[in-house]
Amino acid sequence: MWLNLQKRFLTITARIGISAILSFCLTGCGTSRNAPTLIRFWNGFTGPDGTRALQIVRQFNQENPDIEVRMQRIEWGTYYNKLYVAGIGKRAPEVFVLHTSALRRFEETGFVRPIDDLLGDFPVNDLDANVWDATVYKGKHYGLPMDFHPIGLYYNRKLFREAGIVDANGEAKPPRTKSEFLEDARKLTKTSNNAALSQWGYAYSNAPLHVYSLMKQYGGKFFTPDLSKCLLNSPENVAALQFCVDMILKDKTAPSPDASDPWIGFRQGRVAMTWNGIFMLPDLQKQKDLDFAGFPVAQIGEQSAVQAGSHNFCLNANMGEKKRNAAWKFAKFYSDHSLDWAEAGQVPVRKSLRQSPRFAKMTVQSQFANQISYGAYFPQIPFNQEFETEFNYAVERTLRGSVTPKEALDAATAKIEQVIARRREDRQSVTGVASP
Amino acid sequence: MSLERTELVVGEKRSPFLTWIAQGIMIFLALLFLMPILLIFVTGFKADAEIVRFTGILPHAPTLANFERVLQTPEEFPVFRWLLNSIFISSSVTLLVLTVDSLAAYGLARLNLPGKKWVFGLIVGTLMVPGQILLVPVYLILNRLGWLDTPLALIVPAGAGAFGVFLLHQFFVGIPRELEEAAALDGCSRLKIYWHVVLPLSRPALATLGLFTFIGSWNDFIGPLVFLDSSEKYTLPVGVAIFQSSFYTEYGLTLAASVLCTLPILIVFLLFQRNIVKGIAMTGLKD
Amino acid sequence: MTPTLADPETISSKAKSPKETLKRYSGWLFVLPYLILFSLFLLTPLIYGFRLSLYKSELLSLSPPRFIGAGNYAEAFRDPYFWKAMTVTMRMMLLVTPITILTALGIAVGINSLPRKRQTFFRSAFFVPGMLTISVVGIVWRWFYSPEFGVFNAYLGAFGLRPPWLGNPAWATLAIVIMTVWWTVGGPMIILLAGLQNQPEQYLEAAALDGATAFQRFRFISLPLLRPVLLFTIILNVIGAFQIFGQTLLVTKGGPEFGTRTLVQYIYDTAFNNYRMGYASSMSWILFVVIGAFAVIQFRVLREK
Repeated sequence: MWLNLQKRFLTITARIGISAILSFCLTGCGTSRNAPTLIRFWNGFTGPDGTRALQIVRQFNQENPDIEVRMQRIEWGTYYNKLYVAGIGKRAPEVFVLHTSALRRFEETGFVRPIDDLLGDFPVNDLDANVWDATVYKGKHYGLPMDFHPIGLYYNRKLFREAGIVDANGEAKPPRTKSEFLEDARKLTKTSNNAALSQWGYAYSNAPLHVYSLMKQYGGKFFTPDLSKCLLNSPENVAALQFCVDMILKDKTAPSPDASDPWIGFRQGRVAMTWNGIFMLPDLQKQKDLDFAGFPVAQIGEQSAVQAGSHNFCLNANMGEKKRNAAWKFAKFYSDHSLDWAEAGQVPVRKSLRQSPRFAKMTVQSQFANQISYGAYFPQIPFNQEFETEFNYAVERTLRGSVTPKEALDAATAKIEQVIARRREDRQSVTGVASP
Repeated sequence: MSLERTELVVGEKRSPFLTWIAQGIMIFLALLFLMPILLIFVTGFKADAEIVRFTGILPHAPTLANFERVLQTPEEFPVFRWLLNSIFISSSVTLLVLTVDSLAAYGLARLNLPGKKWVFGLIVGTLMVPGQILLVPVYLILNRLGWLDTPLALIVPAGAGAFGVFLLHQFFVGIPRELEEAAALDGCSRLKIYWHVVLPLSRPALATLGLFTFIGSWNDFIGPLVFLDSSEKYTLPVGVAIFQSSFYTEYGLTLAASVLCTLPILIVFLLFQRNIVKGIAMTGLKD
Repeated sequence: MTPTLADPETISSKAKSPKETLKRYSGWLFVLPYLILFSLFLLTPLIYGFRLSLYKSELLSLSPPRFIGAGNYAEAFRDPYFWKAMTVTMRMMLLVTPITILTALGIAVGINSLPRKRQTFFRSAFFVPGMLTISVVGIVWRWFYSPEFGVFNAYLGAFGLRPPWLGNPAWATLAIVIMTVWWTVGGPMIILLAGLQNQPEQYLEAAALDGATAFQRFRFISLPLLRPVLLFTIILNVIGAFQIFGQTLLVTKGGPEFGTRTLVQYIYDTAFNNYRMGYASSMSWILFVVIGAFAVIQFRVLREK
């Protein structure tokens, strides 16, 4: 009986195999003459944001039968590697998404195309100036911003009410200043010997973004303008990082990253406040029993600042006119549908769309949108990935209490300077000129 | 046959009590090992909000929603496409490895080839080469061949591994010479001897190698991750990794996809698993 | 590692006539298809990789690859991340291999002691985890280890235990080791089981008649007979343990504090995050040499005992 089954199984597999080969051929060989212009669209939207993006793509395809946008998602970390290598190998897609902080890395490769000549009647003035300007390099715009995604405060309203942190109407009142922030965190923390029962005022669910925001608030700089020197270990940055460590080690209002999954903790209602990206919103919305709201991050340093990112539509430099026009049409369409996109946890960067009643109903997005004028991107440098690796490592080591902020940032700075030195050496060997 | 004997000895003088204890321990261990797999299957039926608050193994409110999402939105998750890709690639790799390796092993084990000791030594020596260190150069070679982002990138290099040649060589060496000589006297060519004498005798070894190769290829993660770009060309393991977002995991969807990814290979295994031990026992790995 | 096997044909025929010679050489045609693949995708990459390791070859760079001799190797020896990754790799190997082999041996002996009919189930039960792809394994175990809603802590919590599974380097290493053993024990177990069942039982019978206990029979007869198989599985396992990658990439991302980033993962990061192909190749070759050295040492030690 087993042998019989095996035989049958083999024939079935063989059949499936053959039909698989056939289907490969059919899709590969059978392109008709009226085939729509194929636009490959790559991005890293692997979460619910991808579902939303697909809906927009589907709508575009329906309204434009002469164009077929085929979307592909790869998790961000892998995405950038793949895109880079595919681009160098001349296999890059027609349209792809780049974060503002990654633009310069890709500009150097030469496969991203400036879009200034395509703008035509696009309402450039409707875009937020700081977001749009951030795409400029050497006088040209290298991408069309599709959104703005800052971090912001998520807070548990139930826990706030329980701790009596309420306004005149008895509604939960989120902190705006340093003292309020520290005070609230203290009031909301309930330590217990049973770790499962403790409640935390604050938790670092995305520490690097939190720390970066604070460094910006403290007025920290990261590089000299000519990128010849890394300033990550400047006193402002050390002080900002020290503030973060103190919440864990001194105030004990935030759990050590050792023994917790802060984001899940917030979803479970055991963490009262956390700063995290607006893109995390869909994950919270799944948790129906959680009474949460969003708010701009408190101002802890001397100036307002918050870490933010923007996704940009970027166009492949090597494509013919037909594809180029189709790709641009798609980018414009997407921008016009920013509100659909905002549902996935994004802030539209078209000012007119933000004023619509539909956006006002997206309460968390609207709150986070208030930070748009002081959003701070990660350094826009060609070696952004190397920088972020070192930065994250420094933050992680410090918050875990393994090293002091100064030690961690010194080490990171030294590592980044090595990258800078390698690049300088490179340039010298190419041009004979010693500039980074 | 050796497989039917040991039982006589072991357990012969043992009290039934001890045997029961031994069996009890084995059952406990086996359940422990199977538990994670059971959990994957059961938890695929839980909603995300329930998964995040673990309250027990069985779902309180079983739901098919995860499976529906995964199966009914082929645009988002082309699961069947990935399944076909996986089947196509793994079958091709298995076929290639079995063909090429058995031919080579036959030549090296049964034919009087000048200098074969050196060649075989070289091949066996590469058993020590960790596959991962070849990643970068193979990537650059595939790039030069223009095979990146095609199934070829996963199929052809898989035929270079030394394990199959080694395994089959050890098996072929043990086949009695007389059978071959009789066939040769009947005027059979070497190719015919290979096909009509050696291969039929080596079924268990071929099945073992085939199964290992198929599983290896099916579960290969880093290969498709590095060599493929387009999501419609992905295999299941890499496709499943898509469900992991950079920032958080959609556990329900991921687990449902994991179930779909695991089921086919489990069936293949259960159909063929009888051959494994027999095959290995007979392939002279003992030396 | 060349096996010492009697090869009847080389001993018997000493062909001399041209036709015979032709026939002898034409036999290589059987080996040819494999040799083509072998040279193209094993030998060439091996040599190419070595050549690459002597160059400064970076995709991010504007300059063409440049010969720098041992420069990459020198960088590796100065690179703290390299040493960290090397330490992590060694630690993993030293934990994974003994635990896996002992567990596999224990299970194999256990299964072998059961009545034949019941063996099938157990064989499958321990082998099945290895059938899962690493992406599934990684996702699921990350969930198991979650401090907030993981299965382990849900049950350990009842005893007041809440280990920070992935929270600090030591625990995370242990977590990776446990999951690796679970995932990979099936292969060695099957091979060892086959080895046990292949043993000529006259010896065991004789020993049983002489009144040897089960343990004595195992210790003094089965185990020595098993040594070649054991050697084979240990070497395979060490090679495998040196290459742990998927587990750490998917479960810990190499963290916390790079405390579980293995050398292979660092090579992957260097090659495909930072596109430093030359440097990555040099580290690959260092890994290769280390693995080779380990294999040779084990071979010597275990064989000559």
